[in-house]
Amino acid sequence: MADASVIVAQVIFGLIRGILLGCVFALIALGLNLVWGIAKVVNIAHGELVMLGAYGAYFLNLFLGFNPLLTAPIDAALGLAAGLGFYFAILHRELRGKEAITLQSEMVTLVATFGLSLAISNLANIAFTGNFVGIPFDAGSIEIGFLQIPLAGIYVAVLSVVIISLTHVLLNRTYLGNAIRAYSQDIPAAKLMGINPTAVAAIGTGLAFAVTMAGGAFLTTLFPTGINPYMGALYAPISYVIVVLGGPGRMWGSLVGGLTLGIVIDVGQIFLGVEIAYAVAFLLLIPVLLLRPEGILR
Amino acid sequence: MTITIAAVEVHKRFGGVLALRDVSISVAEGQVVGLIGPNGSGKSTLLNVMAGVERPTAGRVVLDGKRVDGLPAHRIVERGVAKTHQIPRPFLGMTTEDNVTVAALYGSWKVRDPGAAREQARKVLNLIGLDGQADALAASLTVQTRKRLEFGRAIATGARILLLDEIFAGLSPDELREAIRLFTHVQEEIGFGALVVEHVMPAVLTISEHVVVIEEGRKIAAGTPSEVVRDPNVIEAYLGTEAARAAT
Amino acid sequence: MNFGRLLRSAPTLWGLAGFLVVLAVWGPWIPTFVLTLLINLLLFASLAYSMNFIAGLTGYVSFGHVVFMGTGAYAWGYVVGTFGWHPLAGIVAGAAVGLALALGIGSVALRFRGVYFAIATLVTALAARNIILVIPALGDGQGIILNLGFEPLTWFYTIWVILGIQVGLTYWVTHGRIGYGLRAIKSDEDAAKALGVDAARLKLFVFAFSGLFAGAAGALNVWTLSGVFPEPAFDLLFSLQMLAMVIIGGMGTLLGPLLGAVAVYLPHNYFLTVAVGAEFIVIGILVTFFALVVPQGIVGALRRYVPTLRGIIE
Repeated sequence: MADASVIVAQVIFGLIRGILLGCVFALIALGLNLVWGIAKVVNIAHGELVMLGAYGAYFLNLFLGFNPLLTAPIDAALGLAAGLGFYFAILHRELRGKEAITLQSEMVTLVATFGLSLAISNLANIAFTGNFVGIPFDAGSIEIGFLQIPLAGIYVAVLSVVIISLTHVLLNRTYLGNAIRAYSQDIPAAKLMGINPTAVAAIGTGLAFAVTMAGGAFLTTLFPTGINPYMGALYAPISYVIVVLGGPGRMWGSLVGGLTLGIVIDVGQIFLGVEIAYAVAFLLLIPVLLLRPEGILR
Repeated sequence: MTITIAAVEVHKRFGGVLALRDVSISVAEGQVVGLIGPNGSGKSTLLNVMAGVERPTAGRVVLDGKRVDGLPAHRIVERGVAKTHQIPRPFLGMTTEDNVTVAALYGSWKVRDPGAAREQARKVLNLIGLDGQADALAASLTVQTRKRLEFGRAIATGARILLLDEIFAGLSPDELREAIRLFTHVQEEIGFGALVVEHVMPAVLTISEHVVVIEEGRKIAAGTPSEVVRDPNVIEAYLGTEAARAAT
Repeated sequence: MNFGRLLRSAPTLWGLAGFLVVLAVWGPWIPTFVLTLLINLLLFASLAYSMNFIAGLTGYVSFGHVVFMGTGAYAWGYVVGTFGWHPLAGIVAGAAVGLALALGIGSVALRFRGVYFAIATLVTALAARNIILVIPALGDGQGIILNLGFEPLTWFYTIWVILGIQVGLTYWVTHGRIGYGLRAIKSDEDAAKALGVDAARLKLFVFAFSGLFAGAAGALNVWTLSGVFPEPAFDLLFSLQMLAMVIIGGMGTLLGPLLGAVAVYLPHNYFLTVAVGAEFIVIGILVTFFALVVPQGIVGALRRYVPTLRGIIE
């Protein structure tokens, strides 16, 4: 009986941690989802952005003593700049003047960002060394019965959901959002309505990068020593699975996918161990692609 | 032995939209059947269902007495039925001849040897008057030439029945006359059957012996070209109620 | 007389054959240091030709090819370590496991197009690595250590044979009926199906070759290391290097994978002693450059800009 109650406690704790983690996963995947949905670009260097966001938080904390939560807006600003730069340096060449983004174009940007991913992570390995680092940050915790829940985790989860909601509002209730959605659905029609496709795609990419790097900063509070040049190799595939689960182009889908993955990983490892829990989370992608290629929503 | 392909009481639903309701149509080898209807009436969907690109939601597709709905597209081609795309889809990086050679190698002729297939391809290119552009890359062809190539590839599969999706669309009157002359010539030469989908009527009425009209996924008329043009339902669908009243 | 015609009709094939023959004859006299470099270069080339079968010939970009290398390596380690098979028989076992796995993974993953295929293969490789880590018979994540001794000449001729078969198969596949079908699929899969091409079967056919040779190469790789360990065996960087070689050399070409292997192996080997990991910065930048500016790779670019080479290299 004691065994059973321990397991129940573990599952509840895993569930809570999974939900908190899932919200941050969702934010990170939102960045991928935006570029994927808007410009039909699957950014293989997405994980490297998460890594840069995490290092941004780390260095701002190390040299200026910033609270990791406060580093997120700075990361986001850097991300916006990086996104605009990335659009004009890499994507514009392939996407400009296209009336529809073909499979061929998708593959070109996929391969191009794959090269970037390889270069950035290894550049970071030389610049930052390969050691695992982290930010000492304890915002205290709340106790509910036998459960101790770190407040930092709650903060970042809530902030992630807020950012996802704001993005949703931006896309659905503003002129810029309408322009972005018009561009993602029909480029010639968007042009006829006076929308500048280059501006829209560039801003969309900047927004996506901003969100992703902020997500990288949030991650540092959940994993005390998880910052490493190659951490992107984990968060990129997690993001792909989340976006496919929720459906590319659907912002709420990212949240649903993120929570699913967070829970599968954190509850799953109680019974299956970490390795198999992650394997299951990754392989979730296959049945979803086979049975519900538009995502699990609807 | 001639073959026949028939769609029998076919329904096709896309999400909440019923694109085809209870449509039946049949084409025999050697026969040219026209399928007309306004844009969005379900013509291309019907062709896709018959060619194995889409599965019907209900109903059957019967080829040579056997059910073929649910078979993948390449199996239908193997059995002698080939479809063209409304917007031509040539293999852009390959030459005109190579485009047609693919069809000859994988169609119902069962030519396994690339040399022999190239020979076949050249014959087809001669027949459709593209022999001068055999070595040109498909990417360099004009839209009209691509349409002709699309037609040539379908023939080169050895198809005994062709499903032709708007091969006459977007032509000037002179080009249309020339295209019809070419079609009739090739059809007489080979003797294939064809289901010709158009939303421009004159071309279809000239070449078809039987015409089916669909509107909003439903069959509204069928008969000889002269019967069909006098049908009040057809006049209404094409010209509106006013014209229908005036005509009767 | 016929021989002369064949020579003129397939200069690239004969060039590659000549290169391999020279290597084989020179073999016993090659200094050991150079020999080890050559073994690695040929191993890279073999991996590149393996990736070329799927990514090059069909346009299906696989990020997870290391799964075939890794399982091939473990199959080798298991039959050699546990059953005491001869290492050469272990290579055959590695190839067989790679083939079987490719048929299994391919029959599902090849239904997904474009980026979805790339992602599906990536997560499959990551999951496979995690699963191998917890299988007790495969060393419980500790790996399998074998002490088989240093036999560079045997390794050299083994990889030589594997590579030779791959070059021949690539030529055969690209020049017959299958080649037409594959080029059609790569250009427009739906249009190919509409002309009777059984796309699913053709893709699985070349994917199976791809898995078979990656399995064999993975097995040979761990033979030269005398042991199988999960991290190096399933290192995703192998997948990425394989892809990089094909992209740089020229997707779907006969000579491209070899040129790509040289282009990737040179920085790889140079930085090994200078700054480990720095090679991937060079390779990554090359990949991005080629994807955006020279998508047809070295071979495609040579054919395009040097007209006299057009009839010679492919």
